[in-house]
Amino acid sequence: MLNLRRLLAGLALLGATGATAVAQPQPVRIGLIEPQTGPVAFDGTSVIRGARLAAEEINKAGGVLGRPLELVIADGACRPADSVAAAERLITAEKVSVLMGAFCSGATQAVMPIAERNRLPLVTGVSSLPTLTEAGNRWFFRNAETDAMIAAAFAHGLVEQTKAKTVAFLAVNDDWGRGTVASFRGVFDKMNVTTSVSEFFDHSASDFYTPLTRLRSARPDLIIVVAETQAAATLVKQARELRIPSRIFGVGAWTTPTFLNLVGPAANGLLAGVAYTAAAPGDRNAAFVRDFRAMHNEDPGKYSASGYTTMNIIAQAIQRAGSTDAAAIQAALEQTDFTGPTGNLRFDNKHQIYGLQLYVVEIGNGRAEVRGTATLERND
Amino acid sequence: MLLSDFLQFALNGLVTGCFYALTALGLSLVFGLMNIVNFAHGALFVLGGMLASVATERLGLPLWAAIPAVLAIMWGLGVVIEAGLLARMRDAHILPVTLVTIGLSVFLVNTMLMLFGTEPKNVKTGLEGAPIFLGDVIISQSRILAIGVSVVAIIATWLLISHTRAGRAMRAVFQQPEAAALAGIPIARIHSFTFALGTTLAGLAGILLGAVFVVDPSRAEPAAVKAFVVIILGGIGSLPGAVLGGLLLGLAESLWGGFVSTGYMDAVGFVLVIAILLFRPSGLLGAPASRVG
Repeated sequence: MLNLRRLLAGLALLGATGATAVAQPQPVRIGLIEPQTGPVAFDGTSVIRGARLAAEEINKAGGVLGRPLELVIADGACRPADSVAAAERLITAEKVSVLMGAFCSGATQAVMPIAERNRLPLVTGVSSLPTLTEAGNRWFFRNAETDAMIAAAFAHGLVEQTKAKTVAFLAVNDDWGRGTVASFRGVFDKMNVTTSVSEFFDHSASDFYTPLTRLRSARPDLIIVVAETQAAATLVKQARELRIPSRIFGVGAWTTPTFLNLVGPAANGLLAGVAYTAAAPGDRNAAFVRDFRAMHNEDPGKYSASGYTTMNIIAQAIQRAGSTDAAAIQAALEQTDFTGPTGNLRFDNKHQIYGLQLYVVEIGNGRAEVRGTATLERND
Repeated sequence: MLLSDFLQFALNGLVTGCFYALTALGLSLVFGLMNIVNFAHGALFVLGGMLASVATERLGLPLWAAIPAVLAIMWGLGVVIEAGLLARMRDAHILPVTLVTIGLSVFLVNTMLMLFGTEPKNVKTGLEGAPIFLGDVIISQSRILAIGVSVVAIIATWLLISHTRAGRAMRAVFQQPEAAALAGIPIARIHSFTFALGTTLAGLAGILLGAVFVVDPSRAEPAAVKAFVVIILGGIGSLPGAVLGGLLLGLAESLWGGFVSTGYMDAVGFVLVIAILLFRPSGLLGAPASRVG
């Protein structure tokens, strides 16, 4: 009984502090569905880190509509079922104004109808499956390059730079991996560059000797690898162990400090096509890298930059909308014109971003050097 | 397809097979002797790798010093888990115990996410040197180390169980607890010893994983699933079966990946399991009536 009384007293105290908090403006809540567990947990966490920096900067400058931004983060684990459950919870229980996520294309695809049904904007900063923006879902926006856009931007330059006559693919066995391979093959076929082998591996794979052995006997001039940090690090080290002489071009987060640290000297000579690198030129990026380092004590990678710009795009849209009314935010998102560390970003009629800067980087001595740039062109 | 490719695939398969065998060994031991389906095995496996990464990367210990230190911690953790959770449920049905191990797994994985983060980690071996060529077949030094340590650990475990007094006591307790107690065998201590041994074997496999590949908390679930596949293949509770099942699964995945398609390598294990359950439900070396040794 005594304990109960003490508990009640505690609750009353809590209630009192809650009452004083009401005097402050209600925060604007943004729901993030990102993988915090599972095979892409690390990359999902990177998105959240970028979003956190953006939210902190915005709140320091007075928030949106005079109210602070609050991030409500849910773990979608890159799985459609978990991401749908997370979306339902964020919408009904957490009452978020905008959704951001859900990282993996398959997961985002599953969340899109939920956003549409609840008439709530959904912005992804990562999912690159081309068909997502072809679905005609007006509540969905994509602040990321698609597989086809990456292929179109890089394929020609890559063949010219490496003088490759034969290529091989090694990609993760999902929408992103298979989609990217198909897009590159489309361009290479037109250029009469032969594709000798295409190998796919599962998300949970940790040993790549088997597909790499197949690539080794195929002896391609160039190997294009589509993989996230965890798989890419092991894969590159094993390719070096097997003494595969071919040039390797990576698609994914290949310039993050974690990747460079894990792979060590074996990373030297790698080429990577990235939508962002901390080594990118420009004052806007230099400021972002400085602030990110101050907050997280590491250099930002592709996913952190995407989390940062996506959160900024959402915040500016809410500001432009003048309220947290979903339809007003949706209309404001269509007017997006945001200049950040990744370029001058706008959405086309299908809500696909353009203006994004793409970079070809070469890794040498544990650092990424920019070797070439391309801009994602409007294509609708 | 060249002969050298075949040999490379076979060797790759043996390396992964050794991993599978070592991972499954502890799981099979705990199930066969204690009748506990330990779903936390994958998490304990990852924990071994994480601790070894901290010891070698952050504390700068050499691998030969880090392995015994981590194994000692894992042993202690095994004793604590057994005394704190499992000893209280010794007479409980298998299902509540299984639920407890699932809860333990969730707890361990999330604690690791909190303490170590999501970043994949390496265990420093000091063996980053040149790989070894056997004709056209290549093997890295860290893989040779992993095979060597696995083989030693497997043989040591087998000797312990079949040729020592402690091993005989273990088998006696789990065959006939009352008779063993009457014969003066300290039952509580044997339970504690067995679970700690299983935990330590899981930790050792995790250390080797971090030495050859990378280790992060998301590995817990696939590792546990693979270990279950292996012990179903080999025969639940049979230690030689766990070793045979592990090598078989490693080879089957590697050859399937090499000659057919790498896209569906994970499916191979499950196809094998379905076949085994259809034609030999007790597994390759499992005898239906006995679960021991």
